[in-house]
Amino acid sequence: MSSRFPAAVAEPTLVGRRRRRPLSLAGSWSAPYLLLVPASAVIAAVLAYPLYYMVRLSLEHYGLFQLVRHKGEWVGTANFAQIFHDPEFWHVVARTLAFTAACVSLTMVLGTLIALLLAELGSKMRLLLTAGLIFVWATPVVVAVDIWRWMVDYEFGVLNWLLTFLHIGNYNHHDWFVNPWSGWSVITALVVWGAIPFVAITLYAGLTQVPRELVEAASMDGAPAWRTFFDVTVPLMKPLFVILISLSIIWDFQAFTQIWIMLDGKPGPDYYVMSVYAYQNAFGQSEYGLGSAISLVTVGILLVVSFVYIREMVKIGELS
Amino acid sequence: MKARISAAVVLAVALAVAASTASGSTRQSTRKAAANEVVVWVMTDAENGWPGALTAANNAFKAQHPGVDVNIQYQSWDSLLQKFDAALAANSAPDVIELGNTQTTKYMAAGALSAIKAANYPNSKTWLAGLKSSCSYNGKLYCVPYYAGARAVIYRKDMYAAVGVKKAPTTYSRFLSTGTKLMKKFGKNSNFSAFYEPGQNWYVMMTFVKDWGGDIAVPQNGKWKAVFDAPKAVQALTAYKSMVLKLSRATKTNDEAHPYPSIPFAKSRAAAFIGNGWEWPYVFDPKGGAAPKSFAAKMGAYPMPSHIKGRYMPTFLGGSDLAIPISAQHKSLGADWIKAFTGTASQKIIAKAGNIANTTTLANVNKNNPALAPFAKAAKYSWFIPTAPNWVNVEKANVLKAMGTALLTNKGSVKSVAHKYSQQVTKILNAKS
Repeated sequence: MSSRFPAAVAEPTLVGRRRRRPLSLAGSWSAPYLLLVPASAVIAAVLAYPLYYMVRLSLEHYGLFQLVRHKGEWVGTANFAQIFHDPEFWHVVARTLAFTAACVSLTMVLGTLIALLLAELGSKMRLLLTAGLIFVWATPVVVAVDIWRWMVDYEFGVLNWLLTFLHIGNYNHHDWFVNPWSGWSVITALVVWGAIPFVAITLYAGLTQVPRELVEAASMDGAPAWRTFFDVTVPLMKPLFVILISLSIIWDFQAFTQIWIMLDGKPGPDYYVMSVYAYQNAFGQSEYGLGSAISLVTVGILLVVSFVYIREMVKIGELS
Repeated sequence: MKARISAAVVLAVALAVAASTASGSTRQSTRKAAANEVVVWVMTDAENGWPGALTAANNAFKAQHPGVDVNIQYQSWDSLLQKFDAALAANSAPDVIELGNTQTTKYMAAGALSAIKAANYPNSKTWLAGLKSSCSYNGKLYCVPYYAGARAVIYRKDMYAAVGVKKAPTTYSRFLSTGTKLMKKFGKNSNFSAFYEPGQNWYVMMTFVKDWGGDIAVPQNGKWKAVFDAPKAVQALTAYKSMVLKLSRATKTNDEAHPYPSIPFAKSRAAAFIGNGWEWPYVFDPKGGAAPKSFAAKMGAYPMPSHIKGRYMPTFLGGSDLAIPISAQHKSLGADWIKAFTGTASQKIIAKAGNIANTTTLANVNKNNPALAPFAKAAKYSWFIPTAPNWVNVEKANVLKAMGTALLTNKGSVKSVAHKYSQQVTKILNAKS
């Protein structure tokens, strides 16, 4: 650890500076709180206020009439009552959960496999693969979705052309979005493709920190590779898996751009997930109160899902 | 140590959840106008179809207001209202906004537009009645007619001739038989459509409903009721579905702007499509179909024949209006720009680009243009959307587009699809606003 920081060089100057200009606040009880003030102010401005505003909106009837006058009409919990009595809403929730589960598991499995591959590769190929991953990660989402949309385009898409060219079938004028299962497969592939680099590179970094001697000891004892992986590597990397899975859940649960642009800004009811549903109600129907209520419910579900998962992982971690 | 790491993970996740949601709910607003500029939102249609009219208007405006810049921000129909709502919320509305004539009612009812005096604007005595009524609410006027458009069939004369059809069809059965012949002759190419009709082109779908004597929605006991599940409408939708499935291989899950039918048409993938007058030049536009000039000799147009003998199908009278938002910063500058843009000089350019001008005095501009004359003929019978204030929500939620997809991809019988979506429309039209 210490080798990462050239402490021997840096320390004297630091100490010297400290001695020359001692902080008058150092040692006083208020110092930590004062130091937290700037960060708290930033968080309050960019996070707390919008959240407060969203909660307030969710308790109001806020249509176009109210929007023009900048004044909502208090309706209490009526928006929430309306959502919970709407059978479509529960379909949307179930669809969102299924989509998230599919995306997160695919991302994690493929990301882990690529990380393992990276660890095994020679330096040249590893550099090539890493560069490829970084390119994917660096592509702005909107641009990436547009490219994918063109590839699966009904009239001029290269995918239909290629599948036909390879005699896999007549895919000329094949519409990927008529059947929601096929449409969701395309969207899932896009989301997973975009998410893999981050997971793969992070896990690869984690793999390099797994002590070699432990792995070697396991294989000396005759453990097969998969056993070594699950019993040695995975437990060591558990914190990393927890944070990656949690972040993936959060990102995929709120996927919006991919669905929205892929379907030219007018997804049909088969393509509603919670984010799209909230947007359709808020901006599609000018029901901003209702849209905010849906968003709040989304936050609630997301917190429950993440917390349950993390608690479980923490429990397992403490037992082992 | 372990407990502390877990706590940190929990905190990080909680923050990430909150951050991602909050950033989702705040939306960037458009920037506010500087003191010496007038901000104008018009559709890209003007940019592509009649840029000359904009230049003429800007020059006239600048001559009147030297030192004031015209900041034109081109918009697309897909996101116009969402952006307008956001701008209204953020007090950064433009000084002039183009609205579709199906979109104005809700905004007039909500008080989002400034009232104007017709007499202050050029040609106001001869404005198109249909457009003027889309600007009137409770006896007051809230916008200025910009232009209208009628749809007609644009077709390939040479392909029609190749199957022995020398004159454009004048009856619906002739239209169908021509299409069948075309599919037989050219349909081996699986990209080919005799009549290119995207599945979400609901204007054409509803044109059939109107032609068969049906309607979209009617007022009933002080409420609105969608009626396109009535027997006549179901008959029309059945005819539409069978025609599209027989003659068109266009997408069923997208609309007439993705892609513009003029693009596959220019690439000989379609023998005909139904389009606005301005889609004729778009066949040649480098950003559109990019067809060579010589292609024009092969093109023709005719009004869509009705199933009733001797008539055309009624065409949807689409159009646009120009309004000044209630929170615009430079209302009088906005008004002056509208005056410049809706004056005779600019309107002449707009009409020549294939549209119907906002004034009846320019009705004959295209009389001697064989390409555009059929569009004027098609406008003889026309229909318009229900005048319910909430109508625009039906469009914004893409209900009829989703219905087109459902109808053509066999998500149930014609009757059940029509019933399901008419219930949705009824619900939206009667929602509290």
